[in-house]
Amino acid sequence: MVQLSRRQLLAAAGAATVASLAGCDSGDGADSADVNDKKAGSMDGFKVGDQFKATEPLKFSIMMLSNQNYPFKPDWPMLTELTKRTNVSFEPTAVPGSDYNQKVSVVVSAGNAPQIIPKTYHPAEEAFIAGGAILPVSDYVHLMPHFTEKVQRWNLQGNLAAISQQDGKYYLLPGLHEAVWQDYSLGMRTDILEKHGLAVPATWDDLTTTLRGLRKAYPDRYPFSDRWSTQKPGPGANNLLGLLAASYGTYAGWTYQTAYWDGGAGKFVLSGAMEQYKQVVQYLQILVSEKLMDPESFTQTDDAARQKFASGKSFVLSVNAQTVVNEARLDIAKVPGAKVAKIPLPTGPMGATLSGEARLENGIMLGKKALESKNFVAMLQFIDWLWYSDAGLMFSKWGIEGETYTGSLDDGSFKLNPQIKWAGLNPSAPKNLQVDYGYFNGVFAYGGSTKILNSQFSDEEKAFQAEMNKRTTREVGPPHPFSPEEREQAGLWEAAIADHVNQSTLAFILGKRPLSEWDAYVAELKAKGGDKYIDLANKAYDRFKEKK
Amino acid sequence: MVTRGYRAFQAVNAAVLTVVVVVTLFPFVNILARSFSGEREIRSGQVSLIPRGFTAETYRHVMSDSMFWTNYRNTVVYTVVATLISIVLTTCYAYVLSKRRLKGRGVLVGIAIFTMFFNGGLIPNYVLVSSLGLRNTLWAIVLPNAISVFNLLVMKAFFESLPVELEEAAAVDGASQYGTLWRIVLPLSKAILATMLLFYAVSFWNSWFAGFLYMDRQELFPVTVYLRNLIAGATAGVDQTAASDSALQIAASIQAVTIVLTMLPILLVYPFIQRYFVSGVMLGAVKG
Repeated sequence: MVQLSRRQLLAAAGAATVASLAGCDSGDGADSADVNDKKAGSMDGFKVGDQFKATEPLKFSIMMLSNQNYPFKPDWPMLTELTKRTNVSFEPTAVPGSDYNQKVSVVVSAGNAPQIIPKTYHPAEEAFIAGGAILPVSDYVHLMPHFTEKVQRWNLQGNLAAISQQDGKYYLLPGLHEAVWQDYSLGMRTDILEKHGLAVPATWDDLTTTLRGLRKAYPDRYPFSDRWSTQKPGPGANNLLGLLAASYGTYAGWTYQTAYWDGGAGKFVLSGAMEQYKQVVQYLQILVSEKLMDPESFTQTDDAARQKFASGKSFVLSVNAQTVVNEARLDIAKVPGAKVAKIPLPTGPMGATLSGEARLENGIMLGKKALESKNFVAMLQFIDWLWYSDAGLMFSKWGIEGETYTGSLDDGSFKLNPQIKWAGLNPSAPKNLQVDYGYFNGVFAYGGSTKILNSQFSDEEKAFQAEMNKRTTREVGPPHPFSPEEREQAGLWEAAIADHVNQSTLAFILGKRPLSEWDAYVAELKAKGGDKYIDLANKAYDRFKEKK
Repeated sequence: MVTRGYRAFQAVNAAVLTVVVVVTLFPFVNILARSFSGEREIRSGQVSLIPRGFTAETYRHVMSDSMFWTNYRNTVVYTVVATLISIVLTTCYAYVLSKRRLKGRGVLVGIAIFTMFFNGGLIPNYVLVSSLGLRNTLWAIVLPNAISVFNLLVMKAFFESLPVELEEAAAVDGASQYGTLWRIVLPLSKAILATMLLFYAVSFWNSWFAGFLYMDRQELFPVTVYLRNLIAGATAGVDQTAASDSALQIAASIQAVTIVLTMLPILLVYPFIQRYFVSGVMLGAVKG
């Protein structure tokens, strides 16, 4: 099968940029775009709490991701009901989920993009900005009352600034979360802990103690053997490193980024060279050297880690809400009396806080053709209602009250229709909420208030989330938007630095390089462009600050 | 008399070939076994060559999806139409190029070969196909790939290998240029035609990218796109918020089932044209 390489895609995007630059009309002019002649079908005085309904039947073109588990059907009741409520119907371009980004890239670069392009993950939109194929949506959010109100109320201005470009605008309407959704933590064999009188660890240091206890009881095995090591980039055990980094105040593993915002000093620093990063590495190095953690944790496949856990060769591994139920718990079902639970995320030097960075979801790009439509304002109002109003989110997630669900989230009486199944709910029901109705579709249903999010959780997960929600959310750092030329140079440095950080992290943890060489390692990072990168980032930040 | 050395050679030969056959067949048999196995057995890695926890449930599930059959039909239609058009166009082009007396022959060959090394690229192609109004039609799949230069050159070499005297004799008997091609050359070229048929049919049957790129509606996709989406869904891990239980359960065997179902028809074509296939490629290859 043909597979486009990243290089081919980049070349394609580059070619499109050049092509559209060649035919560029001078100036962007879109700054204070006049939308007075684009109000056809829109509602006068549309405000928070209003149900959007276009004053005439409208049709918007949309890129429609067809999920393999619930393939897109043009006659879904969800779409019929949507048209009934809003007077809007779609002209969809159905794209298989397996290659969605690729098609978006080609279609948008070719200037053929539909008006609404959902399911874009920042920073994927950046490739299309220079070519002018997508709109700077921040210029138009004043026409979207629900969006602006949620940004204000949930204090998301910092998160939006973080996805802004050098011109201070953002080109993606992201999904908004009221609170941080901490999905990942560690899964532990609680029956084994009980048996040996060990407590569920509250801090990372407690975890070390617990693991020592387990090692003492089972001297022939590694109590902790972790997964999520196979995905590049990252040194391995990428979830664990990400969790630890968040608790210590740096970036590592999955969450790794080159520059970390040091709030105290008011500038960016090189994350891989931070003292906190060293502490994370040191923590894991101790676990490995005391044989509390399987050194294979950093290289093995997920299946290997699962098998060790399933056969009782290990007692701890990384989980999320899905895998703890669908994998870990199923895997140990054969072991009599075995129990596994997702433990509240252990805390570290940053205390009972969570990083605030994960509060934006994938989002919507608007193709430049959208602005040419006389229904542009109505389209913004429609998007605002469906993706950002509570009523719209509730509708796209659970459907119609009295039909697909009963009760309300406010008093906790919400209940899915017993004739309809979704994920673990009503497993023997004849209809499927996603497949047969089109609700809970990843294209429309994401983000929203904690209350809406909680409606999809099991009691166990709700308890975990309640625990997590007690923690405070940290402010996100400011952005350092690069210009296109800077980004190119920065990209080269980033790759070299990340390579060295990842390799060295693994070497330090596994004891192949002594931690006494840390200073030498930091010097190596600087030699690979670390200093220059940080200078560039801080300059970009200063520039951003002045513009503001 | 059979020498000992020869016998040893035969034994080694047989052993090596058996290994090759096993290595080649193993994935097929394994896929077949998986397609009939229960999910639990597949997940725990117990299935190798014999189905465990026998079930045909997944077959029922796939075959009950009407979209699968719609896409399957598309693939058949696309493959048949595209292969026929490709064969006609390639034959015409190759036959012309095989005539040494043709003026500008070098330029024509050059144009063909140029496209082997350079092309407009993904986005210009997309823009071209779009502005010709070919998107969401069969022609978007058929026309851009109608002539494969490699096949063209193989065919040209074959035509060049035919004795000129045959055509001269036909001309003396009063056959026109087209009559010669139709009555004399093509009947002698069954081997290369069968080879081209196979090359083109397999490549169109397997191709997914053109269908994926130029078709905007699911009912127009070839089955390869359907299959690819299924496999991606099963291997990419499950969407956090939107996992459906049935998908989790049969993900494992659904891949194998769909692979078997799509592999079967093209596999069945092979034995019938294989004898042409071998001689055809050889014939073209001798005279480069």
